[in-house]
Amino acid sequence: MPCRKTHRFWTTSSILLHSSKIRGNFRNFASQSVEPYKVIRRPYFQLILALLFISSVIDLHGQTMTTSTPSVKSETLIPKDAVTVFSLNNISLLQKISLDDLVRYEFMEEVQQELFDGSTTGKTLKDSGIDFDQKLNVFYGKGENYEVSGFTLGIKDKQDLFVVFDDFEQEIDLYPGVEFYSSYFNHLIIKGDAALLVRVEPTMEKIDEVTDSIWYSRGNENPYYNEGYDDFDEDGELLEGEFEFEETEAPAEESEEELLEEEDVEGILEEENLLEKNYYELRDSVQVMLEMEYLSALCEELFIGQINLVNSDARFAEQLTHTSEGIFYLDNSRNLQKAEGMWYMQTMFPSLLEDMKELYTGNVILGDLILNQESVEFKMEVCYGEKLGSIYQKMNDSKFDKDVLKYIHKDNTAFFSYNVNLREAYEQAYKVIMPILSSEKNSRMSANVLTIELLNEFINKDALFGTYKGSMFGTFNGIQKIKTTKIEYSYDEETYEYSEREVEAEEDMPIFTVGFSTERADIPEKVLNHLSRLTSRFKNMGTYWVCEKAILDAADLYMINANGLFIFTNDADLAMRHANGYGKEALAKKSAKRAKKSGFMYAHIDWARAIERFPRDFFSDRENEIIDAMRGKTGTMELTSSKTSKEKTNLSLVYNYQGVYDNSGKYLLDLLNSIYVISK
Amino acid sequence: MKFWTFSLLFFCVLSLSSCIELIDDIKINNDGSGTLKYTVNLSSSKVKVTSILALDSVNGIRVPSISELNERIADFQKKLDTKPGISNVTIESDFENFVFKLRCDFTSVTALQTAIKEVVRDELRDKNVPELDAIWLNWDGQKLVRSIPEISVKKTTEFQQEDIVLLKQGTYTSITRFERPVDHYDNPSAQISANKMNVMIKTNPHALSQNTSLLDNIIYLTPLK
Repeated sequence: MPCRKTHRFWTTSSILLHSSKIRGNFRNFASQSVEPYKVIRRPYFQLILALLFISSVIDLHGQTMTTSTPSVKSETLIPKDAVTVFSLNNISLLQKISLDDLVRYEFMEEVQQELFDGSTTGKTLKDSGIDFDQKLNVFYGKGENYEVSGFTLGIKDKQDLFVVFDDFEQEIDLYPGVEFYSSYFNHLIIKGDAALLVRVEPTMEKIDEVTDSIWYSRGNENPYYNEGYDDFDEDGELLEGEFEFEETEAPAEESEEELLEEEDVEGILEEENLLEKNYYELRDSVQVMLEMEYLSALCEELFIGQINLVNSDARFAEQLTHTSEGIFYLDNSRNLQKAEGMWYMQTMFPSLLEDMKELYTGNVILGDLILNQESVEFKMEVCYGEKLGSIYQKMNDSKFDKDVLKYIHKDNTAFFSYNVNLREAYEQAYKVIMPILSSEKNSRMSANVLTIELLNEFINKDALFGTYKGSMFGTFNGIQKIKTTKIEYSYDEETYEYSEREVEAEEDMPIFTVGFSTERADIPEKVLNHLSRLTSRFKNMGTYWVCEKAILDAADLYMINANGLFIFTNDADLAMRHANGYGKEALAKKSAKRAKKSGFMYAHIDWARAIERFPRDFFSDRENEIIDAMRGKTGTMELTSSKTSKEKTNLSLVYNYQGVYDNSGKYLLDLLNSIYVISK
Repeated sequence: MKFWTFSLLFFCVLSLSSCIELIDDIKINNDGSGTLKYTVNLSSSKVKVTSILALDSVNGIRVPSISELNERIADFQKKLDTKPGISNVTIESDFENFVFKLRCDFTSVTALQTAIKEVVRDELRDKNVPELDAIWLNWDGQKLVRSIPEISVKKTTEFQQEDIVLLKQGTYTSITRFERPVDHYDNPSAQISANKMNVMIKTNPHALSQNTSLLDNIIYLTPLK
């Protein structure tokens, strides 16, 4: 394939030859810092974990910290390519718990050991040189050719910082006011009072592409070719009789000298040019080159072009102004563009890809983590473009089905409700997406469009969307004993001969209920009637249906088709005694109101009740100890959603805890510590 | 899948099951031939066993499908049936109730032991397992000496404490049958049937793992008439 090779060669050449003076310097920096043969990757990202623990940390009482505004803020070092960012607002966190309190927790010993590499005894987070007046930002991004990950932080004391980053060595400074340090795989770049710890990794596809290009341009054969290929037929099947080895006694060990005769060595030297890299060595070199190329580009963008995520995306910049303890940013539109498999669309349907990109433009999730007095709250804003928003809006414009509430017991452990209008969503999606698909001038796409249009004409949408409207609910009611059978042996006292018989038994099983709203109760009924004719396991019990031993070949599955709902459950009590709902035992009015008021989605979990209902037999002694430690320290979790507009939907996840704590930060740390102590 | 992977998985299943019943039943004829029956009953935990079989792996060990299990069982049966002195090997597998029954006839206890050792060795990667050389059945026409194969005890000690605790809830029944009455026996835990020709010991897998001599017994028979 000469054309492909030429193209690849050009790609490679352009990468290798496109080197400015700065890039030349960068080679020194990167090549010294990247040693591909060393597989030890020091887990600096443990530091992220360590610092995430600070998400409920640090009061400044008794500490001397600088109050002057840093000249460079940590967030300005976040690369533009970052797609996901979690930013901790230390300034707000500082109000929650003192650093002195934090370092006293047992789990912090391990965190600090990891931070200080065990080399500096007695050191704590307080001595890490990190400026807790600045935000700590953790980021990740995946581009077409490389992945970038790392975090940015403020620096209070550089000397102390290098006690943590003790295996970083200083490299040549490439940009004014910017210092470079490197370890095996990571690069620490300091500008002013802020630091960027970054790792740039080229994608495997890119490395392969460039390596293959160079390899073939040198006139080499397929690197994966070996003599064994001769033993396969045209279809790739192994030829009979080949690759069969007779088992022989292992030969007695011979000395290396005996094994490698002099003439053999000469033969090898004649056959192979030892000065030329083999495929894998070349691949490693390409990896190093690409890494420094991409790192160089990233640094030039950050330090010459002054381009970063904050000044590239106004939504992120706005999010950073929030005073919450942590913020979250995820650019889904870029995730879509760079998702694996998109290359197929790019090649086959380029204009369709462009339309899809447009459809996904503005698809960003923004979040806030808020630590309240007695709760932890995670607020999310799911943003999207107008076209996609119009579909979501239609889909979520659905009235809450009140009948659902009848089937949720007041003592439930967890439940959710999901209200969507599939019919409206379908019609709107048809309106928005079909013109995009139709505009694609491609025979395959035209055939697909025709199929969809014909289905749209022929299918009875009233029956389809009447049967499954899209709204559903589910409940979990803990673990209950269910009736099963077991084989029991009885022994004859005269001879000890034994006979077996089937007797009733009980086993634990999680009890769940899942149901969906329907306007066409007759259609599921038709299906069930038919199934009951096919197998005796399906039985009509009047107010409900039962499929015997449907779950794990042991438990019965019940189906209730009433009140505009079709319900599946393994709760015999619900099916046999409450087929029309729990009545007075149903969900309390206050809880029901909250579910009704929520937008398209609502969920509630009572962790305390769930933990109480965990069957001890299901867990090991150690797991039970952890569960015991969590008893009394758990609370409820509630997910609510707003009304969906064309621009966004808001979601809120609130964790309310029980017990007396100064604030949720301390509560979280206490819970973490309990689990750590028990599990270590 | 190799023997130990299966064994490990089997014991994972045991440890996750709240209850397992094992019955080993050996009949010794006067001429030293006999019949071995071995039953594994997991029916009281069938929901859990079914849920485990629905998983891809347990504790990092791949869970085989029922057809794979059937293949392995058939393979074991075939191998055992070809061993000298062993005949009529049958294995009944009830995957609805999870009851498995092995039955085979043997010409002598030596033939039985040799056959089992060879089949196990065949399945093992490490062919050099000295524990397999031990003799756990000895018959001289007048008395039978029984013990537990050392290798099974060795594997039990490798279990984690939490797994062993769960074995407490199971039962292990060992029955030895003869063609003539038993005169006396050494193990005080043993019981004799009303017709005096059968000896039974009941314990649980956990107790057995803690005290491997629980099933050790020397059974003396009345002289042949």
